[in-house]
Amino acid sequence: MSRHRQKHNMACFQRESPALKEILLRLYRAEKPLEFDHHLYEFGSVEYHVQASASIPDNTYLSIATPLLYQDFILSSGLPRYTLEMVKGISPDVIEIIEPPKEGYKLTLRLKYSRIPRNKGGVKMIASISSVQGVILSSQLKDMLMNVNSLEVSQGMYRPVKLIYHPREPFFVIKQPEKITAVFPMRFKEDTDVIIATAFFQELMDIGSSKAFVKAPHCIWSPIPPAELRGEPIEDLSTNGGFVSFDITGRHVEGKRLDKTVWNLLNFYAFVKYHVKSTRGFIQRRMRTRLESLVEVLYNAGIKDEHHIKKKNRGPKGVRKLLNFSKSKLLKKRYNFINKIKRIRSRIKIHWFSRFRKRWLNFSRFSSVTRYEKLN
Amino acid sequence: MAANMLRLYLTCIRNTLEAAMCLQNFPCQEVERHNKPEVELKTSPELLLNSVVICRNEAEKCLIETSINSLRISLKVKQADELENILTKKFLRFLSMRAEAFQVLRRKPVQGYDISFLITNYHCEEMQKQRLIDFIVQFMEDIDKEISELKLSVNTRGRLVATEFLKQFI
Repeated sequence: MSRHRQKHNMACFQRESPALKEILLRLYRAEKPLEFDHHLYEFGSVEYHVQASASIPDNTYLSIATPLLYQDFILSSGLPRYTLEMVKGISPDVIEIIEPPKEGYKLTLRLKYSRIPRNKGGVKMIASISSVQGVILSSQLKDMLMNVNSLEVSQGMYRPVKLIYHPREPFFVIKQPEKITAVFPMRFKEDTDVIIATAFFQELMDIGSSKAFVKAPHCIWSPIPPAELRGEPIEDLSTNGGFVSFDITGRHVEGKRLDKTVWNLLNFYAFVKYHVKSTRGFIQRRMRTRLESLVEVLYNAGIKDEHHIKKKNRGPKGVRKLLNFSKSKLLKKRYNFINKIKRIRSRIKIHWFSRFRKRWLNFSRFSSVTRYEKLN
Repeated sequence: MAANMLRLYLTCIRNTLEAAMCLQNFPCQEVERHNKPEVELKTSPELLLNSVVICRNEAEKCLIETSINSLRISLKVKQADELENILTKKFLRFLSMRAEAFQVLRRKPVQGYDISFLITNYHCEEMQKQRLIDFIVQFMEDIDKEISELKLSVNTRGRLVATEFLKQFI
């Protein structure tokens, strides 16, 4: 469960943009109206422009430029009406949509800070406004999924629609009678990631087909492209992780479930990549723990006088030191011998000869056993 | 049945090691004042004994090469599927990179095998022979066990994560 909470704390799973939220909160908490003009870039393709004027404190302008989910949907007149309604619905009292948007941006909003309450609710409202990019992108998919039960045969039926949420990671949505199929071509950089992910997809299929998850979308993984994607460009169909398909029915888009379903589908890639990364970290931690126990067996093989070994020296560093017999054994013996002599000598203290003590305790250097000495 | 087969395999390796681990100091015949493990150089055939391959099956085997002053043991670990394959590779590479902690471990395995040990006469002087053999046999058991546990853990994690993901749709 703690991992589930950690997932929601990760920036890629959060709906709101952390940087935009911080900027808007700074303006919200400012004691005096600020003069502010800030450009913000995220994920390589999303741009925000925040402008605030000290002379007109109530008007803060937020402009957003983001690639749309469905590239063919780009209209010269701007964002579709459904998307604008969804954005306005974030906070109708606070947000006003400026038409036309600023040049170079898809959407410009005016934020009326005076209408934001000065309590925890206000902070929540700012967080909701910071999620405007997620709202824009998810509104397109929501629009498609809401018509899942429609029997109207449209021109684009059965033709896969390519959607891009993360750059270089497109997925496909195919409208079919009474369901919509979302197909995710999976690509990974390393073979290890492919194998870990494939094991995960097989578990996903097993769990999805169990009785407890009858209500969840039916999930299929296949190493080859599904039949519905025939005819798509080869670069979209060449993968090393296979294809994961989810069948979304009317049940999954009813009421509040629509928002969850859309968000889960949009973040499926990020979810899988996070799982693979966590699994690699888990394997590494496990190997480190195992190393200590394996080394300990060999450590026991080298012990001849066990009572000389102190308990506090056990542990990885102590084990490594004690295992290095050939180098340190002689040095250790010599060191112990010198300390013993010093202790014996230091007990004998003749007061008026103290000034000569240093001279008496000045030992000649022991010749090193390993060093070569020229004989005269 | 499988446990019995493993016992027989390990017993055979143990007996072979007990016979092979009779090492003594032998300075290099080629270079003055040098002392090299002859099993690695293989320059003097008279100093080498016949190597022994002990096979449990096609996928698991052990190669024991002996010389007058050194002994090399190479192991091929069972890998049933791709996941076990990558886990074995990762784990054994992890151990090989930390060979100094093991002293008798070789940094690079012999070709065709997953991990190799090099035991010299110095190791036999510093460590007890029986315990060295116990270590090798115990190591083989532990590796098999660890790979199986790792595979189980990875699959269990995947299952838990898949459950959490699908719960969000319900």
